Amino acid sequence: MAELRTEEMLLNVGPQHPSTHGVLRVVIKLDGEIIREATPVIGYLHRGTEKLSEDLQYQQIIPYFDRLDYISAMLNNHAIVNAVEKAMDIEIPERAEYLRVIVGELNRTAAHLLFVGAYLLDLGAMSPFLYVFMTRERIIELLNEISGARLTYNYMRVGGVKYDAPPGWFAKIREFIPYFKEMYQLFDDLITGNEIFISRVKGIGSYGQEEAINYGLSGIPLRSTGFKWDLRKNKSYSVYDRFDFEIPVGTNGDNYDRYYLHLLEMEQSMRIVEQAIDSIPEGPVMGKAPKILRIPAGEYYAAVEGAKGELGVYIVSDGKDKPYRMKIRRPSFVNLQIIPSLLKDQNIADFIAILGSIDIVLGEVDA
Amino acid sequence: MMFGLLKGLGVTLRQIPKKNVTLQYPDVKPDWPDRFRGVHKFYPEKCIVCNQCARVCPTSCISLSGTRGEDKKMHIETYDINFEICILCDLCTEVCPTEAIQMTDTFELAEYSRDALFKNIEWLAENGRQHDARKGKSDDQANHDAKAADKAGEQ
Ligand code: SF4
Ligand code: SF4
Repeated sequence: MAELRTEEMLLNVGPQHPSTHGVLRVVIKLDGEIIREATPVIGYLHRGTEKLSEDLQYQQIIPYFDRLDYISAMLNNHAIVNAVEKAMDIEIPERAEYLRVIVGELNRTAAHLLFVGAYLLDLGAMSPFLYVFMTRERIIELLNEISGARLTYNYMRVGGVKYDAPPGWFAKIREFIPYFKEMYQLFDDLITGNEIFISRVKGIGSYGQEEAINYGLSGIPLRSTGFKWDLRKNKSYSVYDRFDFEIPVGTNGDNYDRYYLHLLEMEQSMRIVEQAIDSIPEGPVMGKAPKILRIPAGEYYAAVEGAKGELGVYIVSDGKDKPYRMKIRRPSFVNLQIIPSLLKDQNIADFIAILGSIDIVLGEVDA
Repeated sequence: MMFGLLKGLGVTLRQIPKKNVTLQYPDVKPDWPDRFRGVHKFYPEKCIVCNQCARVCPTSCISLSGTRGEDKKMHIETYDINFEICILCDLCTEVCPTEAIQMTDTFELAEYSRDALFKNIEWLAENGRQHDARKGKSDDQANHDAKAADKAGEQ
């Protein structure tokens, strides 16, 4: 029998692929069912946020940050106002700090919920997605009430926050927490114990601690390898040092660990929210900040723990009311780097499971 | 061995008798909270043509012009918002000293042409009248109160 002639196949996944969660294209070279090479092609959602910022005053930049990782806009808000406040040495009132932590952690929970739902949807499970959205909707409603928008909150200001909590808002969170715990149990039952799910994620897409650090990963992709690194604890900002919470870490750095850490982190976020609403002090929510914000000439960097990892803002100022240059360290963008090496020699059936577990948001990758 | 699957099925069965969580939009409209940032409304008689809203707008989508009247005060003549690029960020209503520009709970902005997204002063004022009628408040007194309360909270 004559020898079969084989050749590698080039396959485009995306940019309109439903499970890339946005517009990411990955060009993969296939040898049969094995991926030999994978190259992410980015830029489809590029809006030039960094360049646009150079022409905007600092308070005008905040709404643009909403649109980076649009599913955790509160945390993005926190990143930019925190960076400007650190650069200008602005003190902000305690109550504002607490409100920032509360809305931030609620938003982190919403973002992680979305990950769990979307990841399961990628793997072909429809119903968890619906339960996740039911729970997430309650959080989105809470954030809508305090900020006036469902996704692009534009809630934080340099010097504090825009609004105090509306009447009855804390009571609503108190009602939400037991509901969340019930739903959390349900996700755990429905998903974590499911044999089909486990066999698709356990031991797949794993990498070691050293590799993760070399690639500059942060957030859950880093913590899944067992490396305990969370800016809320390691470089505490805002009032995070006052709350009692854990940083859950994984052991194997595989898909399963990354999925499960999302669940565990939600639980910790809720713990923070619970403590914060019990101990929130009275007082103003907006401190003294100059009307025109001028950062003294120099270079500044400040980062917060975003939903996807270290979200840093690097500002070069020449003393004007606009940044001379602004660089945003977007965790999704950095975390995406590991994809080519991670997908190499994997089965094509695991492609989506691996890509999904890294948890990228294209608004943040492309900025 | 397939216990996990059965458990999942149990969750589904428990859901069946429960109430729907979805809304029959557009027959039923969502009930937005007071602070909801929808499409603007505009009160031409209040505007002092200070141009602050147009200056703070991060996407530069407000264009306005005014003239000085016989009473030496500025009066607004044209006021347009381009909703193709407005990001509903609320910065314009935040800086307006007279609360001439405010946000409503209108959110349905779908149009057949791009030009139709260019809303002029009449449209914005009409949106305001409709919004106030819907909220059943005389003029915008209630809004004013709410905003004053917010502002007091900020200080
Ligand atoms: S809401 Fe924002 S983008 Fe829209 S007109 Fe006002 S300032 Fe401009
Ligand atoms: S800020 Fe208010 S008063 Fe000033 S021009 Fe704009 S709408 Fe008119």
